[in-house]
Parts: sequence; structure tokens; C-alpha cells
Amino acid sequence: MKKTELTKEEIIHLAKLAGLNLTAEEIVKYQQQFSETLDYINNLNELNTESVKPTSQTVDLSNVCFEDGEQNKRQLSINEVLTNTSSKTADNFKVNRIQ
Amino acid sequence: MDLLGKSVLDLKQLISKKEISADELFKYFHKRIINHDQKLKAFITVLNYEKNNNDGELSGIPISLKDNYSTKKIRTTASAKVLDNYIPPYNATVTQKLLDAGICLQGKTNMDAWAHGSSTETSDYGATRNPWDINRAPGGSSGGAAAAVSAYLSPAAIGSETAGSIRLPAAWSGVIGLKPTYGRVSRYGVIAMGSSFDCPGPITLTVEDAALILKVIAGHDKYDATTSPIAVDDYQTEIKKPRQHMSIGIADEYFEGLEDSLKQKISDSIKVLEKLGHKIKKISLIPPKYAISVYTILQRAEVSSNLSRYDGIRYANDRTYFGAEAKRRIMLGTYTLSYGYYDAFYKKAQKVRTLIIEDFNRAFKDVDVIVAPTTPITALKLGEFEKYPFFGEVMDILNEPAAVAGIPAISIPAGLDKNNLPVGLQIMGKHFDEKTILNLAYQFEKETDFFGVIKRGVKNYE
Repeated sequence: MKKTELTKEEIIHLAKLAGLNLTAEEIVKYQQQFSETLDYINNLNELNTESVKPTSQTVDLSNVCFEDGEQNKRQLSINEVLTNTSSKTADNFKVNRIQ
Repeated sequence: MDLLGKSVLDLKQLISKKEISADELFKYFHKRIINHDQKLKAFITVLNYEKNNNDGELSGIPISLKDNYSTKKIRTTASAKVLDNYIPPYNATVTQKLLDAGICLQGKTNMDAWAHGSSTETSDYGATRNPWDINRAPGGSSGGAAAAVSAYLSPAAIGSETAGSIRLPAAWSGVIGLKPTYGRVSRYGVIAMGSSFDCPGPITLTVEDAALILKVIAGHDKYDATTSPIAVDDYQTEIKKPRQHMSIGIADEYFEGLEDSLKQKISDSIKVLEKLGHKIKKISLIPPKYAISVYTILQRAEVSSNLSRYDGIRYANDRTYFGAEAKRRIMLGTYTLSYGYYDAFYKKAQKVRTLIIEDFNRAFKDVDVIVAPTTPITALKLGEFEKYPFFGEVMDILNEPAAVAGIPAISIPAGLDKNNLPVGLQIMGKHFDEKTILNLAYQFEKETDFFGVIKRGVKNYE
């Protein structure tokens, strides 16, 4: 079977999309490991799914909504929301300017 | 008083008869944690006694939670350095329900970081050890929870499963692990891994304890839109109903590549089920190897999406803190969801998922439950996992089909293999039919006492 291989550039691009910094070593490692994994999961092509609908969830729920006017009793206060941040100003999160 | 190995139910009675106080009981287990956990490393956070005035089904019972359940004002890490300093401002629904039922929270148990793994070795805080052999893995990702129950550091624990993370550690650590139907128990406040799979569930010493705890944590939650409005059964009553003529499905596809002495124990257990008056029926199911592929694609995709929220701005550390396994999964998920590959991987996997669900539905027209081994081999030595990029999935091969289909399953001890390590037998059931798998597990427990596995495990930590 044909080996699926990702180029170094593809790995670097994916890392950029995912907001991850990889070392040169990791890039090589993931190249090899992805190839192994992708070769395995290709076994799905042995199954015919031409007329099969994709699953969106497993237990048949539909149109689940919050009732109109219902109170969200578990809504957090602004103070609670800000308890875990290291960078805030008054009632806001403080972030770097977009470059 | 000798409390060693007493079930939650036994402890409940001692408390209600006032033979022991909640405070004394908590201290008994606290001392056991202090004595044994340096070796086992089941806990990430150990708490002191705090009185719980709520009067409920679990009043005064000490219970530990896996460290991916949000606990208000108590550090919650999911065993990941990204969340090293995270203090949740709210409780998960499961946490709240247990507190409302009167539990005394013992602490938070170790797990694979973000629940990514099957051995608890990927924890950023170090591996948990298997109480049966500390050179081996307890299984994962709820390894801390299973080890804590196995060594009786907790009389019961709450784990969570995406695909095998309750059943596999329960099997390898010689205790009971119940993965409920998807949507039976709320995921609100559980640190998300694979949102279309994740199921909170109990790890216990007896089937009745599992029934009792499931009753407490199950049910519709308007804060988790994927929970079901279907009424929760009274599992404790249901397990005691005499049900003799169940039709039990056995599929050859689940018996391939098993270690010999494990296979023998499973065959012996099936004979026990026959002796109990049930009918064994050969069925055929889609080979589990396809469920591995479906799971690998969908879970990585959901991981890449769920872990995208960790930006280091609102809470927790930034993305440079991700460990190797999380990065690998995020990367693969980003790839399979990206433009040009979505149809080939993600959509294809969701279609095969439909085939697997239909396959189970077809089987359950003929049989009440399906019985199989929980794992192909017993507990591995520490370090074995690292050698393979998705070895965990291979260990979980027999757990992944039920996870992919969202059906409930329970792993129960079925004896020891040739190395004296626990073997797990699993019973899978129809959607929301936890009562039937628990009923059969209870019959098996009464007949075999699980071949003394659970008692022996606890006795090792006298």
C-alpha cells in the first residue's frame, strides 16, 4: 500500500494553524508517526459507505434549546471569570495588540 | 473497627447506625492515602476533611474525583501543566450532584494528561503505579481512580471515559468500572476531550455501589445539551430483579489476538453465565479494528477543537506548556479537519460510525447484552506505551466500538492471568439499558465473588 507522508513544510504549517511551537526534532518525529497512523486509519476505505449518512451524535436528540426566559443560575460573575487570569484591567482581560 | 475493603453500601450503614462518624471515616481513608500514595501516586491533590451537611444517598462517604472534574476553589489540572495553576470558579454537575448527595471529597486523582492515553503515564505529574505490581501501569486514563479503589485509598471513585478510560484501568487494576450511555451523565464542567464520546462513570468494589453512584450522578442537565431526558432507572432495585433467561451475544471478532491465559478466564466466565441460566448466542460484529480508525480520526479532531481554547489569556498557562501526546493529537486533528482532507477522514469516519451503531442495533435485536474481554492482554510494564504513537488505541481495541456507538458497558473482574494480574470481562448493553448490564454483572458477582480478585487486591494494602 502507498505510504502517506507529510512533508516537513506541511508539519510546520499544521503547527502554525494549531498555535504550537515544535522543535526540529519533533517535526521529524511527527512526520514519521503521522505516516504510521494515517496508514492505519486508511483501513476505513475497505468499507463501503456510499449510501451511509454520517453520524452527528449517538443518542438521537434533536433541537435541544434553553427555554425562553429561563434563568442561567450558573452564570459566573465578572469577578469569578477573572480569577484565573494573569493579565486584566478593571473588568476586562488584557491582551496584546494584534500585529 | 476493621473497615478494610468495606463497600460504599457497608460504610453507609455504619454511618447511619452511628457506628462511625463521617469525620472518622474520612480520616481512616486519609491515613491510607498518606501511607500508600507515595508509592502508588494515585492522587494529584489530597484534601482535608470538610464537613458536608447535605443529607443524601452518600452522606459522609469519602469519594475521590478524577482531576478533570471541575471542583470549585480546588485546583483542577487534568494532569496537564497547562492547567497547573487553574482553580475552577464553579463545580462540574457531577461534582455538585455528589456534594448534594453528601459525599466528603477526598481529593483529585491522577490521569493521563487531558485523558489522552491508556496507561496514566502521560500525566505531566508522573505515572500512577498499578497496585497489583508497582512496575506496571494501572491502565488509563482514569488510572489514579482505579488504583485508588483497588488499594482501598477510596471506597469508590469517579472516573471518565472517552474510549476505554474507565473500563481499561478497572480491568487492569482488578476493580469494577462502568461507562454509562453517552448522555446519561452530564459532561458540564468536565474538562473536555472528545465531546461526542466523553462519559463520566463510577469505579467501585461492588456492582451495587456502581448502581448506587450511577443513580446519583445520572440524569438530564440543562447545562449539557447532550444529556438525555429519558428517566433514570432505580438501578439498585433493578439489579436485584431475578432475570434468568438473558440472551448473551458473543462475537468472534472480539476474541482475536488475546493472550492465552486471559482467554481462558474469559471462557470460564462465559461458562458461569451459562450456568446461571442464560443463553449464549454466537453473533458477528464489525471487526473492532475499524472502530480504532473511527475513534482515532474523530477523537483527534475533537481534541484539536477542544484544546484550542487554551490560549493562556483567560485562565491557565499558554500553549507552550502542552506535552508531547497533546501536541501529537492536536496536530493530527488539525490535519484531518483541514480543507481537502475533511471528506477523506472526518466525514468518512462519521459514516463508518453510523455503520458501527447500526451493527450494534442489529445485534441487540437478537441479544440482550454482548460479552467480551475488556482488554486483549493484562497490565503492561511501565514504559511499554511510549514506543508506539497510538498504542493506547490498540490496548483499547475492544473498548472503542462501544465508545464510538455511545452504548453502555461495564468491566468486571474475571480472575487472574498466569502472571497473577487481573483480567477484565466486559458486558455491553443497549443505549440507556444500564440496568440490564448491571443486573448481569450483579448475578456474576453473587455467583463468583469475582473469584476473590477484588478482596485480594485490597488485602495487598492492609
